Amino acid sequence: MSGHSDLRSAVKTLFPFSHLIGIKINTLGGKKLSTQPETALSLAKTLENGGVKADNILIWDRSNRELRETGYSLKMNRKGIKIFGTDSQGIGYDRFLTSHLNIGSLFSNIQSKLIDSSISLAVLKDHGLAGVTAAMKNYFGAIHNPNKYHDNNCDPYIAELCDTAPVKNKHKLAILDAILVQYHRGPAFHPKWASEQRTLIFGSDPVAVDYTGWQTIEKLRIQVGLPPLAEEDRAPKYIRTAEKLGLGTANPEKINIIAEEI
Amino acid sequence: MRRRRFLKIAAGAGVCAGPGMEAWLSDLYQTQGYSSNLSKVEARFYEKHPDREIECTLCPRNCKLGDKERGYCGVRENIGGTYYTLVYGKACAVHADPIEKKPFFHFLPGSRALSIATAGCNVNCKFCQNWEISQVRPEQIKHIDLPPKEVAKAASQNNCAVIAYTYSEPIVFYEYMFDTAVQARKKGIKNVVVTGAHINSEPLKKLIEVVDAIKIDLKSFSQDFYSQYVRGELQPVLDAIKVVAASPVWLEIVYLVIPTLNDQPLEIKKLCQWLAQEIGPDIPIHFSRFHPSYLLKNLPPTPVSTLEKARNIALAEGLNYCYIGNVPGHEAENTYCPQCHRITVRRRGYQIEDTNLKAGRCRFCQTQIPGIWQS
Repeated sequence: MSGHSDLRSAVKTLFPFSHLIGIKINTLGGKKLSTQPETALSLAKTLENGGVKADNILIWDRSNRELRETGYSLKMNRKGIKIFGTDSQGIGYDRFLTSHLNIGSLFSNIQSKLIDSSISLAVLKDHGLAGVTAAMKNYFGAIHNPNKYHDNNCDPYIAELCDTAPVKNKHKLAILDAILVQYHRGPAFHPKWASEQRTLIFGSDPVAVDYTGWQTIEKLRIQVGLPPLAEEDRAPKYIRTAEKLGLGTANPEKINIIAEEI
Repeated sequence: MRRRRFLKIAAGAGVCAGPGMEAWLSDLYQTQGYSSNLSKVEARFYEKHPDREIECTLCPRNCKLGDKERGYCGVRENIGGTYYTLVYGKACAVHADPIEKKPFFHFLPGSRALSIATAGCNVNCKFCQNWEISQVRPEQIKHIDLPPKEVAKAASQNNCAVIAYTYSEPIVFYEYMFDTAVQARKKGIKNVVVTGAHINSEPLKKLIEVVDAIKIDLKSFSQDFYSQYVRGELQPVLDAIKVVAASPVWLEIVYLVIPTLNDQPLEIKKLCQWLAQEIGPDIPIHFSRFHPSYLLKNLPPTPVSTLEKARNIALAEGLNYCYIGNVPGHEAENTYCPQCHRITVRRRGYQIEDTNLKAGRCRFCQTQIPGIWQS
């Protein structure tokens, strides 16, 4: 993806080593359907092996309770990889609103102030309102009022949120944890409609990554005879909106998928 | 420091406690401190669906939510297929205000209203004056545990004839409001609701069985405005106005006039015609002055002349009680007898300076002035 064969050079193409890197995970789905600690910690270790100081890596989400419930041990020490939520003492949300297009939100101080570069390490899931929740929607966990942006299939809100300065200027890498994919009745866990895909989808273009995730969900739905999301009036329109905003491409002809089996 | 912060929050919501009230709040804080817990009380208006999904039927959004999801209001959550209110008894603002501040001009003038709010709102007005409590989730702000019985007791102890559910959007703390109203009635305390009325008719009809007055913020007479600046629907609000007007509950309307957005004379004329025809000429309407706030900071405060024009339109359309709000000292703060045109209630800001009413009638010409004038 980076064009480099060695890890250090690959990491360097995305992150200056001096940057504090935030890994925004998703722990809303509880133990069964969240970014697993094994995945997030492996990513952190990979970054460390690639030259990023462990002190400069922060795994985070909105609340410490959700992090703990998913199996993360909180770490706020100055040394080493850090793991904590926006609701930690002394963190919280911005005092001033970020206002952009239809967005008016307070950002987590982690996203707006603490980190320099951001990785969205999201879980790929069907979503009853958005259609699909993936790397871009993961940033809903970086603001104080995501509940205000779920109407009209979360469109244009997800795209416009990703177009705000605190996200757009810091986002470097999107990763979808598609190890277990909830392809229907998400975002809650329903084993009946969850499929082990044992896949991670990486990309520097969050729109392309979300588009690819969306197609994965559509394929799984077809396999079990479920209708396409559009027939349920919940196609993830925000992906096209993000493309229109210039955040990436949702054109399959322009998306180069490099599959690697490990 | 923490107590000071709480009082600041209350002050942010536009409150002014009397000395007794402040002492009570201080005691409350010292004995219990801020609560970090959310409530888990089952919501009253929702339907259960298969696969742990629910549909909220409290407001016209009818949020359909999977497990672990919250409604648009941010204060009601589906937990394992049961829908819960997270703010029952979790007051984030508590204070004693003059009833005129709500504003109610025809309901117990001069009375004190113990005013409470929780976090949350089911719309997202770009001009919200209280967005720091209405547009946040309950875990993001300080609150105190104040169960319904305690609210009623506090009102009684602090000489508040009224409890007002206000500041944020009381519809989203419906269960808390409802149970508090029931407790208040047992003590002879009246209940008033300050709301955008974005509510379904069944919960509204239940609510009006336990409250005494409702002030509805009609934010525009245009669906486009509701879509763009409120993120809600106009028709349910108009329906709610009709439901309340047809009930024994006292109703007043506030229309916040925002320069260039909802101040067109034709829109105001249509609104007033609708009110006169559907509700009647005696419904009080307050044209309130906008001040830049939240996401609408690029507009100036409403010129007083614009408010006067709106009021003149309303009078010309036959509405009898038309007021101008947020302009202290303006002559349109007074209530005028529609028959003899003399002042029946003279106000200055939130103060009553003089009343010329006797048993609800104009002292000069005996015309009945509609309202609830005595408890």
